[in-house]
Amino acid sequence: VPDLTPGGVLLAAAVASLVLAVAIAPASVARRDLVWRGGVALVAMAVMAVADSLDIVILVLLAVGVAQTALSGPRDFAVRLRAPVVAAGLLALALVFGRVQGPELLSRFSAVGLVGGLAAGVGVLPYIHALDKDGASEPDAIWIGFIGPVLASAVLLRARAFLPPDAGADFGAMLIGLGVLNLLWGTLGAWWTAHDSVAWHYSFMADWGLALCGFGLFVADGQTAALLVLFALVLGRFPLLLIARAPLAEAGRVDRPLNLLVAAMLAGSAPFAGFAARILLLRGAAETYLPLAVVLAVGLLLWLPPSLRLGRSLSRPRGRQAVALALLLALNAAVGLYPLPILSAAGS
Amino acid sequence: LLEAGGAVLAWLGASLIVLADGRRGLALGLLGVGLGLAAVLWPTSPALEAGALAVGGAVAAAKRLRNGTPGWVLMPPGSTPRLVLCIAAALLALWLGAVVTSGSGASLRIAVLAVIGMTGVRVIGDRQPDVVLSGVAGLALAAAAASSLASGQVEPAMAFGGALLAATTSFVRWREPQRA
Repeated sequence: VPDLTPGGVLLAAAVASLVLAVAIAPASVARRDLVWRGGVALVAMAVMAVADSLDIVILVLLAVGVAQTALSGPRDFAVRLRAPVVAAGLLALALVFGRVQGPELLSRFSAVGLVGGLAAGVGVLPYIHALDKDGASEPDAIWIGFIGPVLASAVLLRARAFLPPDAGADFGAMLIGLGVLNLLWGTLGAWWTAHDSVAWHYSFMADWGLALCGFGLFVADGQTAALLVLFALVLGRFPLLLIARAPLAEAGRVDRPLNLLVAAMLAGSAPFAGFAARILLLRGAAETYLPLAVVLAVGLLLWLPPSLRLGRSLSRPRGRQAVALALLLALNAAVGLYPLPILSAAGS
Repeated sequence: LLEAGGAVLAWLGASLIVLADGRRGLALGLLGVGLGLAAVLWPTSPALEAGALAVGGAVAAAKRLRNGTPGWVLMPPGSTPRLVLCIAAALLALWLGAVVTSGSGASLRIAVLAVIGMTGVRVIGDRQPDVVLSGVAGLALAAAAASSLASGQVEPAMAFGGALLAATTSFVRWREPQRA
């Protein structure tokens, strides 16, 4: 198994995900646009994964934000650019506060900036990321389901280098708080919203909630769980969103075994990758603070109804989409049954 | 003295980016931010890296002069909140950079905090693409300058990367959504 960082593993998953996404893109999605967007994002993600410092990650985030925004999108140019700029600005302020000499409070401001910047960058900061009922468009999904995981691993890996231990504890607590908020908001939103496309967006938020909780736990199980959740997000939920976009317009809902299998995968049932991640997360949470494990368990139970809804929204995939769907299910099951190669490659 | 002057110039440049809607005002603001940050870094960083920020700001300014809303359009009606932002950002950056924090490089801390805060707010609060991109250019230059807080010298990759990003933002062509 090659020795990669978590960012490297997620980057490899993103490459596979982009290939799948281009192969299965429905007629409503411009393939050329998808290749451009994905290609630019992959280059930026590769630089983020190997960057020496967080400064370079910030510059790359700004650059890829401008590049992605300059391509077409459902909202005005200036509105589309807000989230990456807020992310870069908050991360830059976090770096400044983390590096200057002064009272201890400054390092806590630094932790706040890191968490806020990370949330804005991956697409889970409230108010900045408006939901579009006409469809969870690729420009939104590419941040929350494609660039976000590598950005998060790049930021979190480097953040620990300059945060003092006290601020590190605050940093972890904020990550857990934001994670629980996103988990509950995402699951309830995906359950109650009237639009399937918005439900897909909420489902990404809920997965990010799990990942942020895992990162915030600072125990090995939590970190491993977060990596597995993000892996399943990039090489599972993101391509599935593209498959779901075609039938979304037809509003067709089907209860075939394949749809139920997809629902099981999205809910993190055994034997898929999400199951291992959830078990590890609950174990890590129970080890750290038992009430947190109870809250997470409730959140995971709430995941079942929206997952069924999302699975049914895929309708009846045919041809290349059916093949891709089978491949995704098989890959997720393989990672769930035997995650060791991925974890070894990530150095977990 | 050079460092202090540079910090003031960077703040004035960021203030112009905040207060102006026209291409002349934005261009002068970008030039001020680039030259100001370069002046702040000049005594401690290699001349090439400090100069790169000035060149990045100058190129961004030169290109900005050729596109966007014509004229200065400085402080159009309803600009009072922007003016308040400029003054408040200066005071806050001065307090944080000179009073709350300690050690050498107060001018750099003040300049970086002021430019990041002001350009960030400008990007969030406006809808004109040329204004927003000018804010991004200023933010890129400030983020590059902030890397010198770690070791005392600006990192070459950050100086050249920040300058390149600032310069290229003025060349960006964008697509707006098509509405029925």
